[in-house]
Amino acid sequence: MSWPVVKLTVRALLLQKRTLALALLAYAPTLMAFVFAVGARADANHHRFYSHLVQDLMVPVVTALVSLVVGVSAIGDEREDGTILYLAATPLSRLSIVVSKITAAWIVAFALLGPSLVLSCLLALGGDVTLGLIVWPLLGVALAALAYAAGSAWLSLRVRRPIVVGILYIILWEGSIATYAASADRLSIAAYGRALVAEKLPQAAAPVVSPARATLILIVATAFLAWLGGRALRRTELP
Amino acid sequence: MSTPAAIEFDKVSRWYGDTVALADVTFTVGPGVTGLLGHNGAGKSTALRLCGGFSTPSSGTVRILGLDPKASPDVYKRLGIVPDHSPPWPFLTAREVVSICARLRKVPDPAAAAERALTEVDLMDVADRNVGGFSHGLRQRVKLAQALAHDPEVLLLDEPLNGLDPQHRRHVVELLRRMGESGRTVIVSSHVLHEVERMAPRVLVLVNGRLVAEGETAEIRQLIADRPRQVRVTAEGDPRPLARELVGSGAVSAVHLEDGHVTIDTEDVEAFSRLLPAAARDTSTTLKRVEPIGDDLESVYTYLHDRARGTAR
Repeated sequence: MSWPVVKLTVRALLLQKRTLALALLAYAPTLMAFVFAVGARADANHHRFYSHLVQDLMVPVVTALVSLVVGVSAIGDEREDGTILYLAATPLSRLSIVVSKITAAWIVAFALLGPSLVLSCLLALGGDVTLGLIVWPLLGVALAALAYAAGSAWLSLRVRRPIVVGILYIILWEGSIATYAASADRLSIAAYGRALVAEKLPQAAAPVVSPARATLILIVATAFLAWLGGRALRRTELP
Repeated sequence: MSTPAAIEFDKVSRWYGDTVALADVTFTVGPGVTGLLGHNGAGKSTALRLCGGFSTPSSGTVRILGLDPKASPDVYKRLGIVPDHSPPWPFLTAREVVSICARLRKVPDPAAAAERALTEVDLMDVADRNVGGFSHGLRQRVKLAQALAHDPEVLLLDEPLNGLDPQHRRHVVELLRRMGESGRTVIVSSHVLHEVERMAPRVLVLVNGRLVAEGETAEIRQLIADRPRQVRVTAEGDPRPLARELVGSGAVSAVHLEDGHVTIDTEDVEAFSRLLPAAARDTSTTLKRVEPIGDDLESVYTYLHDRARGTAR
């Protein structure tokens, strides 16, 4: 991995107007938690609300979409405007370029998602917050964002409309098929993210696997997708 | 063991679907400046992309300093590339662009290397301005500076003079000539021969993806100058006396009369240009217009193409 490339890409991503739009999306759960905190009835189940917020909205929708767009932009934009040539014309291996891009995309995605999650937790749970209720969801979001970013980077090198294909995966596969077919859940990044998020949540849906296994699978999936991305960049015709 | 040529193309072809961008091209390039000439779409950029490892040959092999850039990325420490399109990152200053490229190519002191390269292309006065606000010419010089910053042995430059004003054209031509003379291998693509001949003692000519001529620039220039030409002459009144006068001279191989014009085929343009005024005077013909036919670059390259295939007139 090359830190100059990571810093360069983070800077490029933060200067994009779409990052501002993604920030609005990333803070949608915070807004919902705020509305809940202000308007909830006295007997409302705060843990249940928080559990649904992170499992049904934060991981499978917000994390997925933010990471998808940022991951595609990290390589796709440079490929489109030709600036990737200046990175390709260096001794960095193509895999190293892709890994640097994924890291940059993850840093930006997590910088948007992490604070939003912590704020949502504080607002939703108020005085009932424990360290486990923040750390496990943060870990779930972080690892899911990493895997989504790696998948998006690979997609941006393989297909003409990576955002469309990514959204189809998120909506059709993860949102529909994997929700109802248990075996399909094994090919869902969101399912493993939820498994981590749910670790300390009392009203969590049953996780597909243990947290250790979910962590391992998300890391292996990220590494595999990064390898596919490196291979795709090596084979891609650059402008 | 002999030292490998800096750039080697061995039976290289590249096609995209049904479109052949390069067809069975073989050449080697050694130290000095070499011009890569050809009309738009001739395959120059494809050849340079293959040299740069940004594309893979459909068949044949490309070697830079004896290595395949795709398999041996370390070769980029010794290789500088100026792409034709692709301006550098617009949100960085010129200094940052050159410095980051030097750092990525493992230059020990990237800041000093950037300073030196920016000075070389006369960009120090705008070094701390964002590239996004630069004119095309300034961007070209930033691209050149990033390619020079690591002091490469081989330079691949795709139309590097595009967008430069005359003063900076001269400056860059002089710079590249110096680099060639110092033993670096420089390959410069262009579609303008006179631009290339100011810096490159050797040229390769590509037409429709084929290498149709290679050799010393002066030889290619002579080849182009010596090619058969057609000249259309428009005269006041009857052009037939002029046509009769011309047809008997040695410099004219054929004369066609059509719609009041005389179209002359000649193998020797210089002799013809001396002959025509004399013939007009002798036949009391007033010349209204004398224009070469097919003297555009496309025709010149087509002639070289036909000549290489043995079908030229």
